[in-house]
Amino acid sequence: MTKPLALAIKWVLIVATLAGILWIATKLAQAGNTMAVVIAGLVGMGILAVYSTRRSVPLKYLVPGLLFMILFQLWPVLYTASLSTTNYGDGHLYSKEESVTDIIAQSVREVPGTPRYKMSVAIAEGGDPVTADLVLLLTKPDGSTYVGDKSGLKPLPASGVEKTSIGKITKAPGYTVLTARQANARSKDLSAIAVPTSDGGGIKPVGLSEAFEGKATVTYDASADKLTDAGTTPPTVYAPKDAKWVNVADPTQSFPQGWKENIGLANYSRIFTDSTIRSGFLSIFIWNIAFAILSVLTTFLLGMLIALLFNDPRLRGKAIYRSLLILPYALPGFVTALVWKGMFNQDYGIINQTLNISVDWLGTPAGAKAAILITNLWLGFPYMFIVCTGALQSIPQDVREAATIDGANAFRTLRSIIMPLLLVAVGPLLLASFAFNFNNFGLIYLLTKGGPFNGADTSIGSSDLLITYAFRLAFSGSAPNYGFAAAVSVIIFLLVALMSIPGFRRTKALEEVN
Amino acid sequence: MHKRALGAAAVTGVAALALSACGGSSPTTPSDTGAAGTSKAATTTGVPETPSGTAAPVRDANVDLVIWTDADRSKAVQKYADQFAAENGVTVKVQISTDTRAQFKDATKVGKGPDVIVGAHDWLGELVQNSTVAPVNLSSDVAAKFLPKAIEATKFNGQSYGVPYAVENIGLMYNKDLVPNPPKTMDELVATGEKLVKEGKAKQVLSQFVSKVGNAYFAYPYLSAFPEGGIFAIKPNGDYDPNKVIVNTPDSVKGGDVLAELGKKKVLSTNVDDTNQDALFDTKAAPFMISGPWSVAKAKEAGINYGIAPLPSLTGGGAMRPFLGVQMFYVSSKAKNAALAQEFVTNYIPRKDVQLALFEVGKRPPALKEAYAEVAASDPDVKAWYEAGVDGSPMPNIPAMNSVWGPFGQATADIIAGKAGAKERLDAAAKEITANIAKG
Repeated sequence: MTKPLALAIKWVLIVATLAGILWIATKLAQAGNTMAVVIAGLVGMGILAVYSTRRSVPLKYLVPGLLFMILFQLWPVLYTASLSTTNYGDGHLYSKEESVTDIIAQSVREVPGTPRYKMSVAIAEGGDPVTADLVLLLTKPDGSTYVGDKSGLKPLPASGVEKTSIGKITKAPGYTVLTARQANARSKDLSAIAVPTSDGGGIKPVGLSEAFEGKATVTYDASADKLTDAGTTPPTVYAPKDAKWVNVADPTQSFPQGWKENIGLANYSRIFTDSTIRSGFLSIFIWNIAFAILSVLTTFLLGMLIALLFNDPRLRGKAIYRSLLILPYALPGFVTALVWKGMFNQDYGIINQTLNISVDWLGTPAGAKAAILITNLWLGFPYMFIVCTGALQSIPQDVREAATIDGANAFRTLRSIIMPLLLVAVGPLLLASFAFNFNNFGLIYLLTKGGPFNGADTSIGSSDLLITYAFRLAFSGSAPNYGFAAAVSVIIFLLVALMSIPGFRRTKALEEVN
Repeated sequence: MHKRALGAAAVTGVAALALSACGGSSPTTPSDTGAAGTSKAATTTGVPETPSGTAAPVRDANVDLVIWTDADRSKAVQKYADQFAAENGVTVKVQISTDTRAQFKDATKVGKGPDVIVGAHDWLGELVQNSTVAPVNLSSDVAAKFLPKAIEATKFNGQSYGVPYAVENIGLMYNKDLVPNPPKTMDELVATGEKLVKEGKAKQVLSQFVSKVGNAYFAYPYLSAFPEGGIFAIKPNGDYDPNKVIVNTPDSVKGGDVLAELGKKKVLSTNVDDTNQDALFDTKAAPFMISGPWSVAKAKEAGINYGIAPLPSLTGGGAMRPFLGVQMFYVSSKAKNAALAQEFVTNYIPRKDVQLALFEVGKRPPALKEAYAEVAASDPDVKAWYEAGVDGSPMPNIPAMNSVWGPFGQATADIIAGKAGAKERLDAAAKEITANIAKG
């Protein structure tokens, strides 16, 4: 390749990357995230500095990897960690101010005995539909017409007023009736309108053609930081407690809308102090490790045995057998898991029916665990089979022959020659398989959903993995609590990280065999 | 080496975090079951925008009104949305959401939610708790045109939050070829069924969704057949009281004892779940099935000569009273087009033709009295479903109900499986539910 062409390609790529970053930055700016825009800018400048100059050659190779690692690995970890120190979850999604606004807005009730008005949204004639003060043109059920604005309700002389058959005013002298689209564009102003009435309520629009007289029963006293609901007799007072508005007189009552706040390490201390969670966490953790180890062992052993079998030069038709064996791997795992779930059914499943037994596979802890391991063996052995076949074929024939000449029998050859060489090749894959199974969410979720659940605690299932447990905490179960689930995720992350370190040390040792 | 180890650890850790971040499941409520049951019959061709995969739809910024609904109802909603658009000179977009409940919450949180959603009434407490829905003030004369229980279901803490369009509940489906007249009592049902099994005409008495983890929605009628039995006590103002859990009152335990007895007789089994419930009835293995309108299409397809009857009554108690589920239109509290959204929901959904069109896609009894009367006159199934639910009460829409599904469901499964006695197990469930509510 000629030099100018290479240079041109280089600059095209740099410009394209910068344009991409600019596009992301504009999106971030639209979302109002200033900090992220600044960071995007810095990243763009960094890329320009690294690639446009001849200096810092190692960085040229490292930057893409680093950027993606920060974006897709470091950032989620940090974000989860920061979330884990909050009470973020159902009922605690927004700020305290928003909870107050929302509670007051939702407390508006129709004042009993007041009429419903037919309504049109209008502005004073000659005003700008986008900015002019809105007025409501109202028709009472008896046909009398009014104009309502901030100052109150005034009668509208009937002369020159045109109405539809249901009484909605379409034309009134001195006013311009807004179209649906114009009125809709002022939705924010419309929801703020309340034409004051003598009894302290306000006439508020419902949609674009009706209005009612409503009154908010809840008021907020900012100085005392208390909400008062006048809708009850006597009025109920609510004060903030545990990120919720709690009834002062009766602490079991509270408004459902709470707010998000920082709660420090409370989520972590809950994991370690709540006895159900602690004991549950421990049993889940033990099963999780057992599941991952057993899954890797069983699939590897079966896969390897079959691979050894099919590696024998005397066997004919290997191609057919091999393709058949890969089938379970080729089918989507979701389908397979669901089919197995059906087969494990105690009454209608093919397994119990053929074997003429009545094992409650999915209803007992031991049965569920066995069912999961069996299904995972079916799903996982073809992978190990492929990997082992590849590795076996790369072991030179002369090494085996040398072993035979030295007088080793078949088993001895396998144990002392083939296995060590095989493990060098598949060792890292076994570790990866362990890590994958450690978080094998799909299998558990499709087969047992973590169940069966024992006795009086449905938060902890006997076939739960940490990941399915965290998922249930965050997204289903009693009250979705992202903050707590984030804390559990952080702990899982630390556990997996700690377990991986010795594993990779061991891999290094294996590599030294070569 | 350390770097690599940490890198790999980070990969797996992030996978864990990603998994816990991407999902969006909510407790399986019967309304979900219903939607899943009917989805096959509906087509999604035509105007409504179909999302790829299960991702949430992306809000179109240039549209005046955005409505989210599931695939089944999208066509009917689209038709009237178009009419509304033409009448008011605006543009309306109906988008299909695969999991409206979760996607609406998440999208609204980041300011990308729709203006109107179609959903079940039992989402209400959670939606209010998360500040995602706005009150909808129907005038009293319009509200009076609806079934009172449907209007009741759209209220939370005395405030009204939407306009209902359909009511659904479970009932007893029976195979007319095997059972000419539906049984009035559970004893009669069991006797009839057992006779058929003995004669070799059926393999089991009843098909009812129980599953290994239990199903609170289907188990509730056994408790409600007794006067003081149920899940939550009722407050003086008619709302459910989250502080009074009654799953272990003596009357509720009586219902639990019935579950235990039926479990012992193999009438109820934890091996029947959503995957085989319909199949058992549709292959004539079971002459009876307790299910809802969503099962009708499949039974029809299988050529079953089915009948629909109210749930039977239990000895020592009254009739089993099912939960009512109400389908309704909500307006988002963060709606960008609040005025049009309110206008559409309050002025269009209470119309008879709209309610009839929505009936056609789900076959659930309409919530508007006038529309129901018209449909019931020509469709005996609808009348039968409605009558099966006449005594039912709306499913609790308070957020505390989320704490009930798991523990109560599991308790009923354990009782049916004979793992524990009714009293002991329901006591434990009550304790867990109370503790969960206190935590939430």
